[in-house]
Amino acid sequence: MKFGLLQLVESGGCSSKISPRELQEILSFLPVPEDPNILVSIDTHDDAGVYKINDDLALVVTVDFFPPVCNDPYEFGQIAAANAMSDVYAMGGIPVVALNIMMFPSSELPMGVYTSILKGGFDKAAEAGMKIIGGHTINDATPKYGLAVAGYVHPLKIVTNAGARPGDSLVLTKPVGTGIILAGQRLGISSEPDIQKALELMKLLNKSGAEIMNSFGIKGATDITGFGLAGHTLKMAKASNVSITLKLSKVPVIGDTYHLVDEGCIPGASFRNLDFVESDLSVNPSLDYNLKMIAMDAQTSGGLLLCVPVENKNSLLEKLHSEGLRDSAEIGYVTEKREKFIILEQ
Amino acid sequence: MKTVDTRGQSCPAPIIALKRALKEVLEGELFELQTDNKVSFNNVSRFLDDNNIPYTVSEKGGLWSVIITKGNRNTIQLKSELSTRDIVPHFSKGNFVIAFSSDIMGDGDRTLGQILIENFIKSVKDLDILPGKMVFYNRGVYLGSESSPIVEHISDLEKMGVEILLCSTCIDHYSLSQNIKVGKLSNMYEIVQIMASAGNVIKP
Repeated sequence: MKFGLLQLVESGGCSSKISPRELQEILSFLPVPEDPNILVSIDTHDDAGVYKINDDLALVVTVDFFPPVCNDPYEFGQIAAANAMSDVYAMGGIPVVALNIMMFPSSELPMGVYTSILKGGFDKAAEAGMKIIGGHTINDATPKYGLAVAGYVHPLKIVTNAGARPGDSLVLTKPVGTGIILAGQRLGISSEPDIQKALELMKLLNKSGAEIMNSFGIKGATDITGFGLAGHTLKMAKASNVSITLKLSKVPVIGDTYHLVDEGCIPGASFRNLDFVESDLSVNPSLDYNLKMIAMDAQTSGGLLLCVPVENKNSLLEKLHSEGLRDSAEIGYVTEKREKFIILEQ
Repeated sequence: MKTVDTRGQSCPAPIIALKRALKEVLEGELFELQTDNKVSFNNVSRFLDDNNIPYTVSEKGGLWSVIITKGNRNTIQLKSELSTRDIVPHFSKGNFVIAFSSDIMGDGDRTLGQILIENFIKSVKDLDILPGKMVFYNRGVYLGSESSPIVEHISDLEKMGVEILLCSTCIDHYSLSQNIKVGKLSNMYEIVQIMASAGNVIKP
């Protein structure tokens, strides 16, 4: 039988993040560093930190790693790398250099698996024009791989999750459902085409989406990863001090995601994310429970959520579609701050 | 009483077992779900709370026994049946495409053309096999606007799973961008791809 990485893990990808609520508590004990050159820091829970070097250049730094999300080591390497670079793209930056982070059971797994993971990461970095210039490995029972990435951004062109403005439309560039499809795969209830589609989406760089985002001068964006669509939208609403309405029947999903959820395939991470967002959530009573839980699904290497002034929405969508991001869709809008940060509608 | 044993299983398996059991038992009937995993228990009880399904819990030495009463019409069954009908495509779709190049059917009298297109779209809804996609271009995009007498029917077809695509150049040309009520925007590249890969293209 062919060796499969998934035999080694219980929950993979960004599902393995610790609960957002716990994280927030832990971070609250740490002082927020003070330095006029820190342009974006942990206080707004953004995708990456940004440090100004001079008036024309700032450094975007981020790190991301996780256990396998698929059986094939080379694909796992590609996905981990695409995911790690995504934070830089979401901030309007370009990834430049990176360091590998690897945990690997070297006495138990063949070294070929190790090199395949690294090769996947290397090839994905090359596709993005990024150089991997070092790394660090330790022995650990479950393999984990990711990258610490540094990128460039112009200090005046930073895109943050604090940039959502009332009147903006929200556009999502990739369909959601990777957490559900992967959980269903472990139980043998996800279809092969859906698994393939999820893998393709996770490998897909947010590079072209970010280039279009920058060409439209978009100021507010984030990428959708472990905290799910609802969790990342909440972080954005809080950082921008606005409310955001999500129209969940408009959210693009991978293949049969809805039916999997309807059968009860709701990963544990979705309940963690629900706990995190719940107190800031206003749910329309007629909302379909399955759609609500899809909004909680932890994504690995998910799409960009873009805040676009409504007059540019159609041309943005047209551009995204014509550049191959065919599932891109308008999924909601931004308003002045209301009683709750997030309003979920059918 | 039926027992659903999910010992040794972690999420989402216990929720899947729970939903299966909810489908199988009769309204008002009781059944038991067992789990030995704290997180699974939390998620199961969370799921039951969210869906207003009554239950009682007892715990002994790390084994949770949840006694669940299948409720009546207010529970998840109704919700998911509804949503299946409202949102999720479950109608059979064929590999054919309908292309609307005008807001009327045929070339003759305009009033007649409007009546015909309305009957046409209603009849499409009754087909045993629905079109995979419907594309709208030139004056066809008016059919997807709020003033269209048939926009509701198009919207129904969209809910039945038919992909509705409107030419964005045409919408801009007729200044309709604020009035479009259905479908998603498309471009010539995509429309050509759709027509070229369709088994048949029907033009009313």
